[in-house]
Amino acid sequence: MRVGIEVGGTFTDLVAIDGDRVLIGKVPSTPAAPDRGALDSLAAASIDLARVRDLVHGSTVATNAILERKGARLAFLVTEGFRDLLLLQRHDRKRIYDLFYQKPRPVVARRDTFTVAERMDAEGRALVPLDAAAEVQRLAPAIEAGGYHAIAILFLNSYANPAHEEALAAALERRFPHLFITCSTEVTREFREYERASTVTLSAYVQPVIDSYLARFADALGDRGFTGRFSVMQSNGGRMPAAGMAKNAITSLFSGPAAGVIGAVHQAGRSGYRNLITFDMGGTSTDVCLVRDGQPDLSTETEVDGLPIRTPVLDIVTVGAGGGSIVWVDDGGMLRIGPRSAGADPGPACYGRGGTEPTVTDAHLIRGSMRADAFLGGRMRIQPAAAERAFQGLASRFAQSLPQIADSAVRVADAAIVRAIQIVSTERGRDPRDFVLVPFGGAGPLHAARVAEELGIVTVAVPPHAGVISAFGLLAADDTQYETLTRKIVVGDGTAEIVREQYAAMRGRMLGAFRELGIAAAPRCGLTLAMRFVGQAFEVPVTLAEGEIERLDSGDLERRFIAAHHRVFAFGEASQGTSEIVSFRLGAASPPPSVPILAVAYDGPAVTAETRIFDRGAWRPARLLARGHCRVGHVVAGPALIEDATSTTYVPPGWRARGDSCDNLFMTRAE
Amino acid sequence: MILNPVDQAVISQGLIAAAREMGVKLVRSAYSPILREASDGSAAILDPAGNVVAQAELIPMQLGPISATFAPCARLFPPDQLVEGDFYINNDPYNGGQHLPDVFIFTPIFFSGRLVGFTASVAHHLDLGGGAAGMNVDATDLYQEGLIFPPSKYNLKHDWHGGPFERLVRANIRVPQQTIGDFNAQFAANAVGALRVKELCAKFGPETVAAAMEELLAYSERRMRAAIAAAPDGVYVGEDALDDDGVSETPLRVRAAVTIRGDQVEVDFAGTCDQVRTTLNCPFASTVAAALSCVKAVLTSPDIPFNEGSKRPITIKAPYGSMLNPKPPAPVRARMLSAYRAFDAVMRALAQAVPEKAIAGGFDTTESICLSHLGPSGYRIYLEIFGGGYGAGIANDGCDAVDNALSNCSNIPVEAMELEYDFFRVREYGLRPDSGGAGRHRGGLGLIRRFEILKEGVHLQTYSDRFLIAPQGIAGGEPGGFARTRIERGNERIDLRSKLSLALRQGDLLVAETGGGAGHGAADGRDPTLVAADLADGLLSPTEAARRYGFKTAAE
Repeated sequence: MRVGIEVGGTFTDLVAIDGDRVLIGKVPSTPAAPDRGALDSLAAASIDLARVRDLVHGSTVATNAILERKGARLAFLVTEGFRDLLLLQRHDRKRIYDLFYQKPRPVVARRDTFTVAERMDAEGRALVPLDAAAEVQRLAPAIEAGGYHAIAILFLNSYANPAHEEALAAALERRFPHLFITCSTEVTREFREYERASTVTLSAYVQPVIDSYLARFADALGDRGFTGRFSVMQSNGGRMPAAGMAKNAITSLFSGPAAGVIGAVHQAGRSGYRNLITFDMGGTSTDVCLVRDGQPDLSTETEVDGLPIRTPVLDIVTVGAGGGSIVWVDDGGMLRIGPRSAGADPGPACYGRGGTEPTVTDAHLIRGSMRADAFLGGRMRIQPAAAERAFQGLASRFAQSLPQIADSAVRVADAAIVRAIQIVSTERGRDPRDFVLVPFGGAGPLHAARVAEELGIVTVAVPPHAGVISAFGLLAADDTQYETLTRKIVVGDGTAEIVREQYAAMRGRMLGAFRELGIAAAPRCGLTLAMRFVGQAFEVPVTLAEGEIERLDSGDLERRFIAAHHRVFAFGEASQGTSEIVSFRLGAASPPPSVPILAVAYDGPAVTAETRIFDRGAWRPARLLARGHCRVGHVVAGPALIEDATSTTYVPPGWRARGDSCDNLFMTRAE
Repeated sequence: MILNPVDQAVISQGLIAAAREMGVKLVRSAYSPILREASDGSAAILDPAGNVVAQAELIPMQLGPISATFAPCARLFPPDQLVEGDFYINNDPYNGGQHLPDVFIFTPIFFSGRLVGFTASVAHHLDLGGGAAGMNVDATDLYQEGLIFPPSKYNLKHDWHGGPFERLVRANIRVPQQTIGDFNAQFAANAVGALRVKELCAKFGPETVAAAMEELLAYSERRMRAAIAAAPDGVYVGEDALDDDGVSETPLRVRAAVTIRGDQVEVDFAGTCDQVRTTLNCPFASTVAAALSCVKAVLTSPDIPFNEGSKRPITIKAPYGSMLNPKPPAPVRARMLSAYRAFDAVMRALAQAVPEKAIAGGFDTTESICLSHLGPSGYRIYLEIFGGGYGAGIANDGCDAVDNALSNCSNIPVEAMELEYDFFRVREYGLRPDSGGAGRHRGGLGLIRRFEILKEGVHLQTYSDRFLIAPQGIAGGEPGGFARTRIERGNERIDLRSKLSLALRQGDLLVAETGGGAGHGAADGRDPTLVAADLADGLLSPTEAARRYGFKTAAE
């Protein structure tokens, strides 16, 4: 048996797959001790841990440690003269007209920051040599007095030569063997000191928290008879054996959204679709991601609580539009959605738990696209009258009827999702019409068809059990690791040779690392070159598959870069300059021996009922079906609602839905 | 044409997003560090009449008067005669521009042969010729400050990309590879914005998009008027001053009378000093930008999209021939300094009307440091601007070491600088303890930057302020700390004036320290745990903790 357990903010989801039996679980999360919620979910599903050979876990432990500033007691060591890097940041403001602006608060205080006598230049030559022993001797009393658990080191220009960072780390390790020590170059080897400092401090800050959490959880699993493989989900869309997190804790940030993308990619892939835009609409927000040829796009620029992180993560864009998002009108008379949310408590007005402001969920209830009897598979009591009361004010403000204003609210929410999808597609030089839309999360399949319409997308694939696809994604994820290295090369004769050499060296190291972690299958490797025109400072990724690297020549590389650059920046005729490679990123992924099938039990009632939905200005009679009724080849013409225990799919007029042999529900627009 | 609320919301968001995308791509495809690292550029989308409809929120100063920069171009070269590939260009301070380095480029957007709007971008260019590399603080007229692009029209295809206009520009500037690269980034950003507007037109129809643009202006105007109406009517007067003009010792006074009447505001700078001989003159477009930014920041919620509509309720006047509305050909390169005092005078005035929304005086100075060197492979020019401490608010300490309210430049990472320049090196970059004014809420701290000069023949150009006249606190808060700049040459220590040019020597240490912000409320009201925290972090010295707050450390 294989089990995926995904701990979210409100619910802990479990997907257990045993042969062709699929078990779905949802229990409340226990934020104070997330492992308890995870163990509860196992108990609630009566899972015999002795029979589980593969258990994959995703949690918000790292994210929460940062948001709540409950990470390790951390000391930060930095080159002399640069003590205030974390406080100076980039000298800019995120909100330009905010007079009361405050910078994001770093995870290390100034009092815990110490300087070290050393200095490298940009070529990696030592300007001020490091006397590691003497520096450790000098710093020892302060480190002892501080009661630290972890130390982060950042030296200026270390990306060019990490020797000083490594030497100091080694000397500190000898003197303080109990401390977790992290060098900036172990986490990211890219230039720009503040971003690297932020990344290494965040990494060191969460490392002890993750280590002790995973150790505790592994012990608890062991006590319950578990002897299988225990892996952890990462934000790069892959998993790692728990032991692999010993130097990589930062990659466990935001693993939940990444797991969802992987689950969706796998499930759509079963039906043969590999170019996708995924969108996960939950209670407070919507996450979207673009996937080409089965590979989600990566980004090396992300942030947590305003603090930058420079490690590869899935390129997921989030907008504050979810089921619980508040619908409101601003003082200029514009209808707005979110980012404020009614959250899980009090929740939408229709939950009857004290919420009085209208939400997207209330709008669906009023316009008939969600039925009061269908919430959480009918297990939740809903008060339609409360939803109507909440929308009364907006209805009179815009002189619209209740269903009209509810329909408007849903359409503004659609527009917010469309915007997010444009960011990952058109702004990155990709045409959304070349992609299949894959919605999931409780509310994704409700909005998907109309969102697709706005973008000109003709196919929507709704995966089964769309409300818990993240937990399934844990089981579908490859073992994945990335290595990034800054090495500037101006493209010219012989560049292809250098790329091949670099690739071989990095690949060799990576194979060794995988063997060390006991991952049986040799990983598939790919290389991404960060490239730019000489003189620019931001790079465009050029991705090369294993086979392409052997055949590569310099002219080819230059052409691919210019095309990629033009796609993003529309530089046109100016794209003539010399180009250069700035850094190499090797990705290695080793797929699980097999991915279990997330099947639908086709035991839904054969009866279809009638309902009605207000859409685009009129009430329309609509069919109502259970997902379990939509077998292979079964075609449903819109308007229709298709329900299962974790989500509702809306098939608008002019669309049809069809079940396929891979348990997906396809919606296409009738031309 | 009346739009439904959904189309209005969707098109408005689409326009704002397009402007934002232009801004991001302008910066990310740029070549010079001042644009690609420090982000000294902005972008906007205009309607066919040249009203700014949506803008990328990058640099407030560059955003306010874009329409005024556009207007003279359209007067000379009517929009209805433009063809695909044409663009307007303008940097003329006496024709709607600000200062010469900020070059505005406008690209018409055609949909099915019909003009549906313009995209606009502005970038601060590292060097546009003139009397000294990067900038010329000694200029006594505009001609010594660089190349003037009067409001003009060219065609990208015929005149740029190797054409006559590009050749002319290239021949007159010191670092053409970076500067021409940055111009290309502007053209590309404009192209991206135009593409997005065309996509909106294809989807909603050009008439609907035009109606949405008009409504977006009206929307911002309504919200602006509502915010102004909420402030008490009255005439409020504020003043501040620059230390000096860099040559004489006389403070340069700026006075603002702000009249709030119903849903309108008038700002009158009568009583401001006459224009000066040096580069501190503030062209009227810049004065307008400064006053608008202050009124918007103080009175309105930050999420009101700033466009031409939000300017309609606000009238701004400055006497012709004064420092805030100079006559040609007065030099204007350091106009940001006087613009800040205009901002401060308006802030002091508004603090009387809406004390809870105003903040204490901050460093409010764009300290510019420009180092240049002519080596065997041509000029290398380094230019960076430095902010300092913000003034404290009614419930918060001022932000430490951040760019000031009219600008929003990032720093240039030290590692990026060391990849780029071989004639200096940064030895220190940090906060300045004790530089924030005391108060119930303290002012933000200034910063220190220490450069080591590595070659002979390095030239310094710099302008700054707040060396002599400190920013003032609110409600008993104390003034912020002074800025200062010096050279350490062996055992010698040379204190510099705030505005000057100087030949440096190899081995010199150039030490720039920017000023702090002023406090809000009396110091004895400060929470002792906050005093203790600053003390533990070394941001406040034990001596000053005792003197300012009567705080006793354990050792005493």
